[in-house]
Amino acid sequence: MKNYANKWILQRITAVILIPLTFWFVYQCVLLSNYDYQETKAFFLSKFNSSLFFILVIAMLYHAKLGCETIVEDYVTSDKLKKVTILFISALAYLFMILTTLSIIFMINL
Amino acid sequence: MSLNRPLSPHLSIYKKVLPAVFSIFHRFTGIGMSIGALLLSIWIILIALGPNYFSIFQSISSYVIFKVFLFFWTMAIFYHLFNGIRYLIWSYGKMMELDVVYKSAYIVLALSILSTLFVWLSV
Repeated sequence: MKNYANKWILQRITAVILIPLTFWFVYQCVLLSNYDYQETKAFFLSKFNSSLFFILVIAMLYHAKLGCETIVEDYVTSDKLKKVTILFISALAYLFMILTTLSIIFMINL
Repeated sequence: MSLNRPLSPHLSIYKKVLPAVFSIFHRFTGIGMSIGALLLSIWIILIALGPNYFSIFQSISSYVIFKVFLFFWTMAIFYHLFNGIRYLIWSYGKMMELDVVYKSAYIVLALSILSTLFVWLSV
């Protein structure tokens, strides 16, 4: 449990990245809510859209990972449970970062 | 060693003052949106897998309860966003006078509600 300063800074860097991207994401969601499969897929064929979506999801998952870890560190008393929970959160975050990256690369290449 | 030591953010024993409630909701919405981030990730994976898998999402999204869930998700996004900006300003040691802390809290609440309504009225 070291590098708390780095975690604190990374939490804020990802937050700043997410501010403009969230507004863009919500706006796109309003449009995407009326799309069928082909139109949704066409959205991701655009390099601009898929790049922004990639940055959004990675920053979001990392920000979520740091935030959830902080909450676990604050409220879980048992050292063992704390370690296991944080390991689970990290594994989940990294797994979905990898799956999202692969999905986006796969969609651009098709 | 740490088993019997008190934890810092005691939720149940202090009087619920407004800034504390805002902090608690920041964490609640954060946990909720962490699950949301995973769902967003699953959504992208389903699109990549093809139309047969994407139809799983389409059948779920046709339920009214999905729209209700989405409405509260929108509110959580805006609340966490605006309150997060408030915390970013605090990180620079600015706007930390007690009256400004309360005023900015009400501004965050108003902006969250207005933005959510704006989005849902334009859908």
